[in-house]
Amino acid sequence: MNILLRKRRELSERFRWFEGTLSVAAPALVFLLASSAFFALLGRDPLALIGQILNGAFGSTYGIVETLVKTIPILLCALATAVPARLGLLSVGASGQFYAGAWLGTGMVLVVGGSHLAMPAMFLAACAGGAIWALVPGFLRAQWEVNETLATLLLNYVASLLVDWAVYGPWRDTSNLGWPATISFPESVRLPVLVPGSRLHAGLLLAILLAVGLHILLSRSRWGLELRVLRSNRKLGEGVGMSWKAGAAATMAIGGAVAGLAGILETSCIHGRLQSGIALNYGLTGFLVAWMSGQHMLRIVPISLVMGALLSSGDALQLFAQLPEATAVVLQAILFCSVLATGGLLRRWRSP
Amino acid sequence: MHVSMKGITKRFGSFVANEAIDLEVAEGEVLALLGENGAGKSTLVKILYGFQSPDEGTIEIDGKPVAFESPRDSMAAGIGMVFQQFSLIPALSVRENLQLAFPALPLVPSRRGAADTALLANLRRLAPELDPSALVADIPVGQMQLVELAKVLNLDSRLVILDEPTSVLTPIETRALHERVRTLAAEGRSVVLITHKFEDVASCADRVAVLRQGKKVEDRPAAGLSATELSSLMVGGAKVSAASRVPLPTRNVPWLEVRGLRAGDAFSSVTGIDLVVAPGEILGVAGVSGNGQDVLGACLAGVREVEAGEVILDGVAVHRGVGGVPDPQQVGYIPERPSVNGVAPELDLSVNLALKGLHTLPFWMGARRPSAREALPMLEEHDVRPRDPSRKARDLSGGNLQKLVAARELSGGRKLVVACYPTMGLDLAATQAVYARLFEHARNGASVVWISEELDDLLRFAHRIAVLFHGKVLGVVEAAEADRNELGRWMMGARS
Repeated sequence: MNILLRKRRELSERFRWFEGTLSVAAPALVFLLASSAFFALLGRDPLALIGQILNGAFGSTYGIVETLVKTIPILLCALATAVPARLGLLSVGASGQFYAGAWLGTGMVLVVGGSHLAMPAMFLAACAGGAIWALVPGFLRAQWEVNETLATLLLNYVASLLVDWAVYGPWRDTSNLGWPATISFPESVRLPVLVPGSRLHAGLLLAILLAVGLHILLSRSRWGLELRVLRSNRKLGEGVGMSWKAGAAATMAIGGAVAGLAGILETSCIHGRLQSGIALNYGLTGFLVAWMSGQHMLRIVPISLVMGALLSSGDALQLFAQLPEATAVVLQAILFCSVLATGGLLRRWRSP
Repeated sequence: MHVSMKGITKRFGSFVANEAIDLEVAEGEVLALLGENGAGKSTLVKILYGFQSPDEGTIEIDGKPVAFESPRDSMAAGIGMVFQQFSLIPALSVRENLQLAFPALPLVPSRRGAADTALLANLRRLAPELDPSALVADIPVGQMQLVELAKVLNLDSRLVILDEPTSVLTPIETRALHERVRTLAAEGRSVVLITHKFEDVASCADRVAVLRQGKKVEDRPAAGLSATELSSLMVGGAKVSAASRVPLPTRNVPWLEVRGLRAGDAFSSVTGIDLVVAPGEILGVAGVSGNGQDVLGACLAGVREVEAGEVILDGVAVHRGVGGVPDPQQVGYIPERPSVNGVAPELDLSVNLALKGLHTLPFWMGARRPSAREALPMLEEHDVRPRDPSRKARDLSGGNLQKLVAARELSGGRKLVVACYPTMGLDLAATQAVYARLFEHARNGASVVWISEELDDLLRFAHRIAVLFHGKVLGVVEAAEADRNELGRWMMGARS
């Protein structure tokens, strides 16, 4: 038995580079094949369409900018899902926390207006809004074992309606002639633009920094290790003095704050005002990205980019290939299934 | 039914689990199959029960060769097995559990009439006092076993395999089971009794077969076999040095004090426990499992919140409650089923071994993160395999996880050691090794609370024995003055 074990380890060490390549190449290949089959089913030339997707997403400055613009909220929402997942909490509340952040951040802008402290105050308020929105289900779970997945899901609707109420009601800019939105944000609360003349803002750098920072926190700190112990065996962790409840509160709050940041970035830097429906599908897409990455903060970055490319090429497909808008969603689903299925198969192959 | 296995060989990779074993069981005969952990007993009966097929060799029933593809085939041929882990559904009644396993059950089974009488006939014979409407969760372990046995007999088994049936029973239940086994044999059924207790052999076996390292080393009538002969047959030439007794503590002062302890839930609880243990004293806690042992252990170790009462160690309250969390490093705690309750399966062995001191690390662990450097010597000392600190705990077998937990909890100085069934499932050599480490703490002045069902071991090594029944301490006796049968009666709740 011993001899067998040793043999397998040597084998896996020698082929580690091979395994690493395979774990990226295999799902990519499966995705290409499956989406080709999907295009063929639609009666189109798969190669031409895939070329068009790539061209749409990365073929021009405009394409790249749009891809990156969509990557920012996806990346942040994925981080927001992945942090609580480190404790085993299944949060689907990124879009609700996104709205809560956008709402409270906007409220702060409306109050402090053009003051030079407006920007930090806005970001702080947005993070607090998202954190509070996530702490509610976190507290319910810690205190009364209320299922956090359902609670976060339902609070998504509440947050979305809260924003609707604000923009249709008290915060509506009446000079907009009935358009349900707040007044335009002052220039002072917008982050600088990365590519002149585009809407790609410095939030991209902030999001990547956050991913790196969270990765370091979770992999190097005692706290990150404690989360892993608590996730693996809650009772054992609590027995040696760790607190699952504190972990639940902290991870939910951090995740919520990150999603709230996504909300206010989208509001201030993309739309310039708070309006209805700004979260689009970012929350759900972020959730998919988080699970595709295996809750790995750094792996989330490239996968978010791929998702952003798929979303932005959706516009191109609609425009040039006359395919329905839902095509991009179908492609997202195909990517999700390819990654998870190949990942599962590879794991089984590695440890028979 | 006369079963004969001939030349059975079974290999797993390069490991030979069974090597050319011949085994016969005659009609109406009780065969005790003995051996240490890993001697090949379970492989052999799994082959007989159709779970596994032999690489070589044949099985004959009444002279006709048979080939079992699955337990379904062996059951059809009249072979039944009662497993160590019961396959009863606790949330269902006894009757419903029997119905589930009854052949040709009508779609809507009746609770009365001839069909029900047939269903319950075997149970009535085995356990006349048992109410078929009782939930399985509510009946004692000994009765559960009889329900399992009734399930097997309902399939009209002519050969019954019992896998370590007495390991979970009280002395009184054990004696009752021995009688049932004799009854089965008297009815003309054959019985294969897997055990490593001499008691089982002496009171109901006709013949004894001993396996050692995959080979049959002895096959002889049970009559006239002595306990020493038997244990030397099981371990072979290898000498197992028994743990030595710890002398009675000289400082008879209270070190661990438990006052009015109440805790637990619907499944297991303790109510009003008072105990005092001196430094260097080993307090054995006997009792049928399910009488609150797990709750008592967890409360003493500061792992579980107490509802009322207090646990005082060396003058300081260490129970977990509103007050805070006790220092995990002063208490060694082996929980029951350590391979489930004592490890974080997704983490590597280094982290699992370092858990107790994790809270002392700085927030940014840096070079002080748990590493192979500290873990490797512990793995070596406690013979945990594989000796690879980077392996995840879930890759280890149950026995090795048990040693891993013992390595973590029994290393270093402790003021108190609480061990729940620390040797359950370990073989003779590993058991003595755990005992030696456990008792070493008493020698060094810690209080040891040792929860066990092995009455003989408790009587031999503990200084005092407390008996737990229905969440209360029914009595405490000096081990030197204790009477085995009296303790057995206490375990059943009878104290005059």
